[in-house]
Amino acid sequence: MKVWVDSERCQGHTLCSMIAPDSFQLSDIDGSSSPVNEVVPADKQDQVREAAHSCPEQAILITDET
Amino acid sequence: MSVDDAVSDSDRKKNQYSYDRHSAEYRSQFKQITEEMHAKCPMAWTETYGGHWVAAGSHEVFELARCPAVSNDHDLRNERRGYKGISIPTASRVSAVRGGILEMDDPEHRIYRTVLNPYLSPAAVKRWEPFINDITRACLNEKIEQGSIDFVDDLANIVPAVLTLAMLGIPLKKWNMYSEPIHAAVYTPEHSPDIERVTAMHREMGLDMVNSMLEIRENPRPGIVNGLLQMRIDGEPAPDLEILGNLGLVLGGGFDTTTALTAHSLEWLSEHPDKRELLQRNLDTLLDPATEEFLRFFTPAPGDGRTFSDDIEIDGNHFKEGERLWISWAMANRDPAVFADPDKIVLDRKGNRHFSFGIGVHRCVGSNVARTVFKSMLTAVLDRMPDYHTDPDGAVHYESIGVIQGMRHLPATFTPGRKVGADLDETLEKLQRICDEQKLALPVTERKEAAVID
Repeated sequence: MKVWVDSERCQGHTLCSMIAPDSFQLSDIDGSSSPVNEVVPADKQDQVREAAHSCPEQAILITDET
Repeated sequence: MSVDDAVSDSDRKKNQYSYDRHSAEYRSQFKQITEEMHAKCPMAWTETYGGHWVAAGSHEVFELARCPAVSNDHDLRNERRGYKGISIPTASRVSAVRGGILEMDDPEHRIYRTVLNPYLSPAAVKRWEPFINDITRACLNEKIEQGSIDFVDDLANIVPAVLTLAMLGIPLKKWNMYSEPIHAAVYTPEHSPDIERVTAMHREMGLDMVNSMLEIRENPRPGIVNGLLQMRIDGEPAPDLEILGNLGLVLGGGFDTTTALTAHSLEWLSEHPDKRELLQRNLDTLLDPATEEFLRFFTPAPGDGRTFSDDIEIDGNHFKEGERLWISWAMANRDPAVFADPDKIVLDRKGNRHFSFGIGVHRCVGSNVARTVFKSMLTAVLDRMPDYHTDPDGAVHYESIGVIQGMRHLPATFTPGRKVGADLDETLEKLQRICDEQKLALPVTERKEAAVID
């Protein structure tokens, strides 16, 4: 699984890092999000899916290719 | 207007819905009105307040809040296109100053927001956690031995106010001068006999805000006020009125909203003891999702006005430049298309992409403050007053929920406990000293360390 954050869409709601703290990092300055790693380890995939689901801006993209 | 235009105009506005968001009936019938609008007209035209569109469905809200043809601008002196900002109807109290970044469009909005962000980002707010917890502790101290408290007056009105003043760089001891008029202005209707007193308090607060700005301009000290004074737009300082507008936004946004969220959540937990016990026992996993769920369900700021800045068609609806629009975060938050069982509070709700902080570029700039302050107050109450019971006869909700879905009073009783550390006044003196010594109000770009409370 791979994950991206669309930086044009992300408005720094911070829900992704609340739900999947190991997979998303937030800018100190404005809270905008970026993935810690593009490739999501198997044991974090559920969290990352839930983060994508919960993003108010629908800014998180995931593909299931490994 | 030609006949064709007239026909197409009535056709455009064929999905009509008649309701008054500022009436007490809207509050009592919110669920029914919301369900009806979702089913029949998630995008409706209403004739109230001069006529405006209402986005009630989650899809409509999602699209319009992020639409480049939708403007937040409040053009007070008719220098641009005369748009009326985010209040419908236009509030008579705010005729001189526009509401900071919330009533600006990009690129202007972005310039000011870039100044505010490093004071309010997640990393910036995290530094304040020990400070926030200490105010909360001191507020509870005042009431812990007597076994009764008003969660609005004695806690939820105080903590957000003290913190906001600290972040601005205004002395903490002035919290009451700021808190009372902001709270009262929201719940006091303009025809109320109390309005003169509230307006006088508001004037006193406004004066202090201006004086603080002038004082900090002469003798800079860390905080948002200083940030706004130091910023430059094409080499020039920001106009005083825009600085004051942004200060007003930070104050108004930071106070009554978090108060409203806290009061409603504490009331609900008292009424649902099984859920309270569940939360108490699982704070480590439930606190975050429960906070988001309370935000969704109680939506302290129920919506925002906008103006169409272009003719545009979305999903078959034709909007015209200059038409007003109400974006209902509160109604979108109950849309069953996104939230299963939308009228039920589910503490561990999944996929909770609620609209309570707005979406798009105007996402509430203080959202991290709101969450942190709320969590501090909630956990401290659950810890020190675990058996509190709110009094339904003493609880006073705002009559109408057009501006803030808030509460005036929420009295509660509990088994008395022991004080921990100093009382409020002594704590405020200590926190002021810590604020000054550690320069806590610097932006996160200049200071990364958390506050150290001695």
